[in-house]
Amino acid sequence: MTDEPGEKSTLADKSNLPRRRFLKAGIVGISGVLGIAYLGIIGRYLAPPAIGSDPLLPVGKADDFALDSPKLVAYKYGGIEQGVYVINTSDEGWIALDFHCTHLQCAVNWISAIKKFACPCHGGVYDMKGHVLGGPPPRPLYRRVIRIQGNSVMVGGRIG
Amino acid sequence: MGRWLDERLQFSELLRSVFEHPIPKPSNLLDYLGFATLFAFASQTITGILLATAYIPSAAEAYNSIKVLQTAPLGVYVRSLHSWGANFMVVLIFLHLLRVFYEGAYKKPRELTWLMGVILFLATLGLAFTGYLLPWNQEGYWATTVGSAMPGYIPVIGEYILRIMRNGLEVTGATLTRFYAVHMLVLPLIILLAFTPHFFFVLRQGMSVADKLEAAKRRGEDIEAKSIPFYPNVAFRMILLVVVVAVVLWVLAGVYPKSLGSPADPLNRNHYVPTPAWYFFGVYQLLKYFPGRLDVIAMVGLPLLFLIVLFGLPWLDRNPSHSPRKRPVALSIATVLVLGLIFLTYQGIRSVPKPLPTSGVIADPSYKADIDPIFQSRCVGCHGQSGGYSLDTYANVMRKNVIPGHPNASLLVKRIEGKVAPQMPLGLQPLSKDQIQTIKNWIKAGAKNN
Ligand code: FES
Repeated sequence: MTDEPGEKSTLADKSNLPRRRFLKAGIVGISGVLGIAYLGIIGRYLAPPAIGSDPLLPVGKADDFALDSPKLVAYKYGGIEQGVYVINTSDEGWIALDFHCTHLQCAVNWISAIKKFACPCHGGVYDMKGHVLGGPPPRPLYRRVIRIQGNSVMVGGRIG
Repeated sequence: MGRWLDERLQFSELLRSVFEHPIPKPSNLLDYLGFATLFAFASQTITGILLATAYIPSAAEAYNSIKVLQTAPLGVYVRSLHSWGANFMVVLIFLHLLRVFYEGAYKKPRELTWLMGVILFLATLGLAFTGYLLPWNQEGYWATTVGSAMPGYIPVIGEYILRIMRNGLEVTGATLTRFYAVHMLVLPLIILLAFTPHFFFVLRQGMSVADKLEAAKRRGEDIEAKSIPFYPNVAFRMILLVVVVAVVLWVLAGVYPKSLGSPADPLNRNHYVPTPAWYFFGVYQLLKYFPGRLDVIAMVGLPLLFLIVLFGLPWLDRNPSHSPRKRPVALSIATVLVLGLIFLTYQGIRSVPKPLPTSGVIADPSYKADIDPIFQSRCVGCHGQSGGYSLDTYANVMRKNVIPGHPNASLLVKRIEGKVAPQMPLGLQPLSKDQIQTIKNWIKAGAKNN
């Protein structure tokens, strides 16, 4: 900001220069601190929950899952039913795959006739364990935490 | 009243600068597009506030609250107005931007007006994007899922941005409330903050079309014969344009009420294939041309370039001339871009599954009228990228899977009938019996390009 022109200001400039500078710095400094404080609050408040922090929730009975055949289950959290494929594999044990295609997150479908996951959006194809076989997806389907407690299948948040 | 205010605020001079501005004859309707956009925004504000009185921003209630609203005819109409109004605002602000570009009105001394305008344009797109999720219907839910996945491709910070937008990894109830706050408060505030200076600059500097007249006036020429006063002549024409826009909006909203569709199903039991709102089809289609790892270019690179060019235009374009005829380079680039965008949008819309006639076999089908639409809507989405089995053009269809005259020997038919696994379309609803028969009839008749 420029000072008012004229005699008065020249006079004032001479006598009050350090004081004025102090006041100006004060204005800038105080508004800066206030702004940063609010930005900090905004940033912390809007920060998303950590990856994998979703709770373990039951999604079905272990008996209902045939060996090596993925089944879509609903993980009810966050006000929605999240799609998860649960698979009781013969070699790796239980795995849970997030059903969002890793390309642009359309929902993939398990096609039992060819034993592959296919994405209807741009033709991504994955094998039973979620590895990419073709199409644009840049990485395998995401896995989610899975635990078997008694006969109950529990699924949790995303891994990685 | 006017004098009373002026005594206190001294703004008559400011107003005089625009109200007594001479505008060259004939005054062009296209120069009023900004004003028409302002009208669309006003309409959005009014209908938006009305909708807010009925809408409940929660995953459990949002859809039903709109459904309840839609039981009253006026509720249907107001929502339809808001939805159509969004389209109007996007189109009008885009046309306004093009007109300003064509006139060279972003150049000195109006760089800041342009800058504010770019912010307004982006905020409008933001409003359109966030508003799409709010009804919590299947369309909006999945369009938002795919749309908000794109920033995930930004190197390093992409995933964090995605999670901040959604408040988590998935589009959940928490995303809905976040979008609601952004749609209702943040973006309107940004628009207000950008619009105030935008409008003030226009008041201060006048419309750019009048610059030449002003210069002539300063030289002492008599401009009376070449000009009409802004007020009331041009202002009246502006109001007329607004009336035309308003009537078209009201009629469209009444004749084609916006349907609500089915409620969001994040589990996607019906194998719905997402599509964006039509004005984002350009990006959607662009993705198909950047296969594999290159899609980062379409999702991050091009949008970034677009932003840089938009914001930097007044400084990137050093040509001082305002006259379209003296700016061949700028105008040709812009023409190519706009044509490209129109083409992409058109292609994108064409490739979306349309509700095709599912009943009724066509005895003598034509490729263009009957067969291609089935392929475009049911096959090209996936096959567009996977080379060998493309069905997007006649030549590709005929490459190897169709044997003219022999439908049952053609692999295409075997696949859609499921005689050869996997049945196509993969993991989706099979084609209807009638559609399959129509395709067979076409192959039987020689699979001609008719
Ligand atoms: S979203 Fe699955 S392939 Fe693009």
